[in-house]
Amino acid sequence: MGSRMRLPDFQYIEPESLEEVCLFLKEHSHESKIMAGGTELLLSMKQRIFKPKYVVNLCAIQNLDRFEFDEDRGLRLGALVRLRYLETDPIILERYPIISQAAGEVGSVQLRQMGTIGGNLCLDTRCYYYNQSDFWRKCRPICIKMGGKKCNAMGKGKKCFAVFSGDLAPALIALGAKVKLLSTRGKRTLLLSDLYAGDGVKPLAMQPDEILVGVEVPTLPREAFNVYFKYRIRRSIDFPLASVAAMLNIDRKKKVCHEAKVVIGAVSTKPDELKVIEELLKGKKLEGSLIEEASDLAFKVAKPIANAGSSPSYRKRIIKVFVEKALRQGMGESI
Amino acid sequence: LKEMVTLQINGEGYELSIAPKKTLLEVLREDIGLTGTKEVCDSGSCGACTVLLDGKPILSCLTLAVACKGKEITTIEGLRKGETLHPLQSSFIQRGAIQCGMCTPGMILSAKALLDEKPHPTEIEVRKAIAGNLCRCTGFVKIIEAILAVSRGE
Repeated sequence: MGSRMRLPDFQYIEPESLEEVCLFLKEHSHESKIMAGGTELLLSMKQRIFKPKYVVNLCAIQNLDRFEFDEDRGLRLGALVRLRYLETDPIILERYPIISQAAGEVGSVQLRQMGTIGGNLCLDTRCYYYNQSDFWRKCRPICIKMGGKKCNAMGKGKKCFAVFSGDLAPALIALGAKVKLLSTRGKRTLLLSDLYAGDGVKPLAMQPDEILVGVEVPTLPREAFNVYFKYRIRRSIDFPLASVAAMLNIDRKKKVCHEAKVVIGAVSTKPDELKVIEELLKGKKLEGSLIEEASDLAFKVAKPIANAGSSPSYRKRIIKVFVEKALRQGMGESI
Repeated sequence: LKEMVTLQINGEGYELSIAPKKTLLEVLREDIGLTGTKEVCDSGSCGACTVLLDGKPILSCLTLAVACKGKEITTIEGLRKGETLHPLQSSFIQRGAIQCGMCTPGMILSAKALLDEKPHPTEIEVRKAIAGNLCRCTGFVKIIEAILAVSRGE
């Protein structure tokens, strides 16, 4: 390993204001990489997936690591809020347990201490044949995501199937979160679900000179139930191989579902919001056969391929199990 | 291309001229000679390079040294006071929580961060705190015992 795992040369930029970042990116976005926590970027650079001329570290920008909550406006998070704070903050634990759960499932304590919400939402897509050292990748044809023509995961694949593996995105999409993007052209707000383009090569619907500066999460109804389930090989550290986030606005006594948002993650190039389940469950009484129907729908939508550390059929089946578990827990069953 | 940076390590200031591409791990081991911090996977999976940054555990292999200015860095060398070992160090030795020793510095620093935040953790909390520190001699049981013993003041 030795020298191959060393970082390549780059120029280090540490702007002190958002304005400075935007002006820099206006000129240099195509040869820059933005760094928040650095846990993904620096590893990708060690593996020579990226060799940017400039690394733009956001760490010196004031107030980007703040978050605030109020009943009317909901939760507003700066892009640099550390995952560890989302996991442990008492207000988030009480009002948005799904955010604490999802943040707490990322990597290890150290990675959560370093990693930020902005970085987790802007993760690159991952593939067993892509997230490897330069040396490892050189033993195979250059893949589509690396700029080649072949998909090493899918023999005859004409597009890239790399998987979006962020834990926070499914949870925040289920809550109807929005993200704020900034560039010299101004600010725009997007529904988080619209941030993901569904393209394995370029997963984010952002312009190269845009940066994600914040996240807004609406206030949840007090009685709303929300939960995040994650499947991976090593419970202590891994990226998800399949995940389900659910937000259910349910009348527990009558078991009537007013609103159901179910998002599946880590089985395709973007987190998938299952509108079909939302429509199926809306206004209906949740019971066995309906839950079965809903989880079957999720099973049909999930189409993982063999590009991660677990078999596609197992990942597909666990999605169904998670959806069923989420709906049953939402009804108040303890499973 | 090098930058002048002052790093605060174990209470001492080090003025260094370093290339931005140097990780904190490389600077600690190669430029300063503090080889207590270990390089194992060098890719953020094993926790052997854990150090404390302003008291919180981070991975020095995925941290740029130039980004650490103005922060207090604590490595395993900074734990003992004079000739007296830190209680965690003594406890690890006493209870045989060390085999090859490669995971030990990171393990002890993760444990220190936990005990500083929560002096009396449960066993589950200890397990979670060191979940990012891999021991391939598989001595986890004794490591957990050693940390819990310190929390009980033994």
